[in-house]
Amino acid sequence: MGRAGAWRPGWGVVCVLTGLAEGQTVDFNRDVRPIFSDKCFTCHGPDSANRKTPLRFDAEAAAKQDLGGRFAIVNGQPAKSELIRRVTATNTALRMPPGYAGAAALTEREIAVLRRWIEQGAPWKQHWAFVAPRRPPQPKIAASEWPRNPIDHFVLARLEREGYKPAPEAPPETLIRRVTLDLTGLPPTPAEIDAFLQNGSGDAYEKVVDRLLASPRYGERMAARWLDAARYADTNGYQTDAERFMWRWRDWVIEAFNRNLPFDQFTIDQIAGDLVGTATLEQRIATGFNRNHRGNGEGGIVPEEYLVEYSADRVETMSTVWLGLTMGCARCHDHKYDPVTQKEFYRLFAYFNNIAERGRYFKYGNTPPMIPAPTRVEQAELSALEQKLEAAAKAFHELEGEFAGAQESWEQAMAAKTPLDWSISRGLVAPIAGGGAGVFDGKRAVELGQAADFGFHDKFTLSARIYPAAPAGAVVTKTQPVAEGGGYGLYLSDGKLQVNLVVRWLDDALRVETERPLELGRWHHVLATYDGSLVADGIRIYVDGAPRKIRVLLDELNQNFRVNEPLRIGAGGGPENLFRGRIEEVRIWRGVLTPEQGAVAAVSETITGIAARPPGRRTAAERDKLRSAFLEEFGPPRLREAWSRLRDLREQHARMVAAIPTVMVMEEAPEKRDAFVLVRGAYDRPGEKVTPGTPSVLPPLPPDAVNNRLALAKWLVAPSNPLTARVAVNRFWQMYFGSGLVRTVEDFGSQGEWPSHPELLDWLATEFMRQGWDVKALQKTIVTSATYRQSSRVTVELLEKDPENRLLARGVRLRLPAETVRDQALAISGLLVEKIGGRSVKPYQPAGLWKELSGGEDYKQDHGENLYRRSLYTFWKRTSAPPMMMNFDAASRETCVVRETRTNTPLQALNLMNDTTYLEAARRLGERMMIEGGRTPGDRIGFAFRLATAREPGPAERRLLVEGYHFHLDRYQTDREAARKLISQGESARNESLDAGELAACAAIASLILNLDETIMKQ
Amino acid sequence: MDPRLEHRLLVSRRHFFGRSSFGIGTAVLATLLRDDIEGAVTTMPVTHFRPRAKRVIYLFQSGAPSQLELFDYKPRMNELRGTELPDSIRQGQRLTGMTATQTSFPVVGTMFRFAQHGQSGAWVSELMPHLARAADELCFIKSMHTEAINHDPAVTFFQTGAQIAGRPSIGAWLSYGLGSENSDLPAFVVMISQGSGNPADQPLYDRLWGSGFLPSRYQGVKFRSVGDPVLYLTDPPGLGGKARRRFLDDLAGLNQMQLESFGDPEIATRIAQYEMAYRMQASVPELTDLSKEPERIFERYGPDSRRPGSFAANCILARRMAERGVRFIQLFHRGWDQHNKLPKQIPGQCRDTDQPSAALIGDLKDRGLLEDTLVVWGGEFGRTVYCQGRLAEDDYGRDHHPRCFTIWMAGGGVKGGVTHGETDEFSYNITRDPVHVHDLHATILDCLGVDHTRLTFKYQGRHFRLTDVHGKVVRPVLT
Repeated sequence: MGRAGAWRPGWGVVCVLTGLAEGQTVDFNRDVRPIFSDKCFTCHGPDSANRKTPLRFDAEAAAKQDLGGRFAIVNGQPAKSELIRRVTATNTALRMPPGYAGAAALTEREIAVLRRWIEQGAPWKQHWAFVAPRRPPQPKIAASEWPRNPIDHFVLARLEREGYKPAPEAPPETLIRRVTLDLTGLPPTPAEIDAFLQNGSGDAYEKVVDRLLASPRYGERMAARWLDAARYADTNGYQTDAERFMWRWRDWVIEAFNRNLPFDQFTIDQIAGDLVGTATLEQRIATGFNRNHRGNGEGGIVPEEYLVEYSADRVETMSTVWLGLTMGCARCHDHKYDPVTQKEFYRLFAYFNNIAERGRYFKYGNTPPMIPAPTRVEQAELSALEQKLEAAAKAFHELEGEFAGAQESWEQAMAAKTPLDWSISRGLVAPIAGGGAGVFDGKRAVELGQAADFGFHDKFTLSARIYPAAPAGAVVTKTQPVAEGGGYGLYLSDGKLQVNLVVRWLDDALRVETERPLELGRWHHVLATYDGSLVADGIRIYVDGAPRKIRVLLDELNQNFRVNEPLRIGAGGGPENLFRGRIEEVRIWRGVLTPEQGAVAAVSETITGIAARPPGRRTAAERDKLRSAFLEEFGPPRLREAWSRLRDLREQHARMVAAIPTVMVMEEAPEKRDAFVLVRGAYDRPGEKVTPGTPSVLPPLPPDAVNNRLALAKWLVAPSNPLTARVAVNRFWQMYFGSGLVRTVEDFGSQGEWPSHPELLDWLATEFMRQGWDVKALQKTIVTSATYRQSSRVTVELLEKDPENRLLARGVRLRLPAETVRDQALAISGLLVEKIGGRSVKPYQPAGLWKELSGGEDYKQDHGENLYRRSLYTFWKRTSAPPMMMNFDAASRETCVVRETRTNTPLQALNLMNDTTYLEAARRLGERMMIEGGRTPGDRIGFAFRLATAREPGPAERRLLVEGYHFHLDRYQTDREAARKLISQGESARNESLDAGELAACAAIASLILNLDETIMKQ
Repeated sequence: MDPRLEHRLLVSRRHFFGRSSFGIGTAVLATLLRDDIEGAVTTMPVTHFRPRAKRVIYLFQSGAPSQLELFDYKPRMNELRGTELPDSIRQGQRLTGMTATQTSFPVVGTMFRFAQHGQSGAWVSELMPHLARAADELCFIKSMHTEAINHDPAVTFFQTGAQIAGRPSIGAWLSYGLGSENSDLPAFVVMISQGSGNPADQPLYDRLWGSGFLPSRYQGVKFRSVGDPVLYLTDPPGLGGKARRRFLDDLAGLNQMQLESFGDPEIATRIAQYEMAYRMQASVPELTDLSKEPERIFERYGPDSRRPGSFAANCILARRMAERGVRFIQLFHRGWDQHNKLPKQIPGQCRDTDQPSAALIGDLKDRGLLEDTLVVWGGEFGRTVYCQGRLAEDDYGRDHHPRCFTIWMAGGGVKGGVTHGETDEFSYNITRDPVHVHDLHATILDCLGVDHTRLTFKYQGRHFRLTDVHGKVVRPVLT
């Protein structure tokens, strides 16, 4: 099927347009290598494992070698070349590709190409993409008045060679709409269109381009495609597919485009921003690129398997995005088509597998390594708060001086009075009576109801004073009443103090205990803190006020351990855990007590008792307790006020820090993890050990480079690298023209497509580097070219000859990208909220989509302005991506996707006609028609039509729309209920002053305009 | 001719010849098929050889049903209850992280009774009484095996032939290769139901019916039991009926003007797709409206069949889709992940699926549809003979087991009353005729007349296929 009927489209154009005329020169790279690659390499190519003979067609010497008196290729002599004999053999036992194995014969054309090439002396060239681009001279052209910049020389040269003329320039309305959509992803406003139409000066268009490049919307538009390549999403991608937080990375990308970060720096920051000498916060955030892959938190996975998966994904993504190579093909065996060995795949892998990460990701939230990544606003707020803190501390210390002797007098006064005590009460959630708990005999337990309802992201502290009579038993718990049941608890086990946080025992649980056992038969104060981090490292245990060394028994917590069970004292986790001995003074705080507070909490002496002793005979903890009691409760009001202000600010600061968004980043582990060739790609079959290194077909790393990720990043953007600049400009080209000059934007290898304009590609690549990888300058060069500015009207003749516009004899006509379809509707209806960045938002989506897949939580739609943000901010759940985006061919964000595809389906029609998003936009556009669009239906329709298409409707169009309007108006004026229903779509307030029937008719026409082919196309 | 291609051309012809003075030529047609060209494949024959089946109804049992409780009868396991799984059986096999740290692996036989049924004498559990009566229609494959050990990669593997995301699903492949037999309905439809055994069970993912690198039009269309059966299908209140018709006529008129002015055949396609959308607005509700099904049908499919969204109701819908020529109909029933409380949970799962599955086969047969409809029933892997967690008198659980499990097929092209493959007495290892997931895929394609090595799509320089470089057709089960 595919193979037999395969038709290479690039070829199609070349064939149709150039034919294989008598005497025509065959180009090895353009014409011959693709045949070898597609038809022969599987067995006679770079993959050593699959080669059964020494004959191979990926290297000249091997292809022309002596095969025992026979030669596959004899320069200049097709008749003597075994290759020709074999591909033309009628006997299927002899015929190549092997007829006996079911492969189809070469086509007559392909055979003719091979024959001609051998006749011409069989000249061999290295695959073009592996040779660094050299700036080509501008070709000579006849129509020298047409070009506006060098791009046009290359395009025109080919057109003239093939006997074509470029199309005239598109009308100004078309042009400004096209370039505005291309550079900002939004349509031009009528004012912008008018300004352009009225500006008769020669540089009017260039001025528009400059304005658009300076618009903050530009960065958002550019970022959208980069997010596809980087497989950015808001969820982890496997199974439960819960939320993660990478939006700080997304915002970095937007900002990088907006401040025109040069592409080489853009590359280095994302691949190795953490390794540059003085990595800024921004550079560290940038490395999130390599953490955007999916992360598996499913119970029962083998972590090593997924560690391999993540690093392999990084190699594959980097190869696709920067090198245009399908490196993933070399994961299990040598590449079948390109000169990349399996070992070279794992040498690249070795750059990425040295991250201090877990194979099993957290199901919920981010997984280390991650950093707090405050936004600029948060950074400002934090530093303002820190200034306040400093002032408060200063004020407090000054007062301390003023009240230097006050505490001593208070102590003396207190010692003379009735005994008094004090304990830490801030954050106390379970005020359990001091002596209430009492004696436990292995049968009794105390249940305390719903108090202390903590989950896995909560910070909390558990403490009690215990007198253990037996080495095992529960101290304080909130767990299911079975062994190893779900919940949290503080236990005694083998005499050791143990903390258990359990969802499912063994694979979703955390258990740590003190290294040494407690002494039985005496009183101890025990205290444990958990900081909400899901990891064993977030737990501290104190015995008698002193921190104890901890042993980690299980560190696999993943989900929420919150259970609907009472808080229990002396029991939990089944009957075998009933406590024997005494438990007193159970205290539970929300929040983590500091080590000093932990020590204070353990002090059993009352403050009166401590005060009674001379200062020299008090422990540090006792001194702290007195001091705390004084400042919190008993000191002079002015001092207490200053203290409480300082304390409140500290707490506020801690809360602010805790609320700072985090982002997952790349961070080298202190100890190197070895990398191996994995036999057949299997994680559990390590072969030869490998060191980091780059593929030998590409230029080497500089000899003096420290061989790490940073060296790799710099190597990607080194001027000698033949691929990166070409691949990057080609992808930008695709953004404007719908397909790249090399249409296989993801594959520049020998299976990739021959460029439609090889010299133009090389000129753009070298120009890009010459201008210091200036991305905005590159965009400007492209969109100001005469090539870009052509009209997209097409003649029957041209459509027959060049249906896919590979020659660029006309402008492009393409459906808008998914996010632009929606953003445009929001923009022209006036709903769009232009705000950059922030946490992802949840606009309208049909109810139940999440729930029917998982049975769990459903999509919770936002309200207010979050409904109207640009689509690149829409929450992206990988396993249930926004349907509106998917209907319009958005990339799924599960793996790296760089090729743009467009289909044309009935589901798109239904989406545009019936989705609340577009119905609300239609209603709001209807309101704008009535308020801003003039008095007559014709004017109003013209107004809306122009908002959507940038042009006035023609007379026939206007007539049709006006008649349609009257049809709807008649209906809605008689059926007020229908009118009311149509204009009730969406949550934004309706303008009640407008007549419902008229508004409904306007909304119906507005909806029609939003559904026009022209509206969702750029042309 | 490929019906999909034919349909598109018909539609386009109507618009080109009926409403436009614009000429048409072969290149224009090529452009009409532009999406197909994206991956560099254009013309395709419908089939490579005579198909046995025209369509597939795949009843996917998500979460992995236990073969030990349903079809793979191992009486000796009850004698060995509580004894350790012998090392000679386990053979160092990797376990999931859920039981890898378990110190003991006690064998546990099923609590449910088995009996032989039909002429073929197939062993079926008491949990599946209706299917037991249909045993002679069923072709059991007891030697299925897979590579993945966790749900997400395993279901993805079953659906796309690869554990990692990004490949087209089997339905998308067939939709691409064979197209639809009905121009008013999609070629690939998906329906989901929740299991009553374990409502908080494993989730599903849109990628399971995605088109991967194939053009997105080949992705499965999810039919839903709440809201619109197909997303955005229903006109908004106030803009339906005649108003919608007028809207579409005006839209077509304007698009037609644009077509005449610009000459882009994509506009003609757009016009056609709006008409197709309009037809779907009629054909889909007609399809999903069960109110005209006679009483005996609901009785046949069981009490659940009156509840929209149930597996039983979806089975009736599947039959209706089969009647209307939908190519690949896939049901997903959740809830089969019995790590613990298996004896309590699995009867519910069986109640959900037993009667409706059997009814579907009978119903298709009565209508003469079974002979060209291939029905497949199965999950993503099997379950372990050893107990996960605590083995109690009336309670046990089973972990994931990729090394062997049972599925069954019926109808178009496969032999009924046949059992293929065998496992050892522990149902732990395959002892005869292993069938890999790739083999099953190759076999399903074969039933549809498609050579799995020749249904390819070029992407990233490679000719991809559903079965990668593997897959052997399981000839013995075919008629």
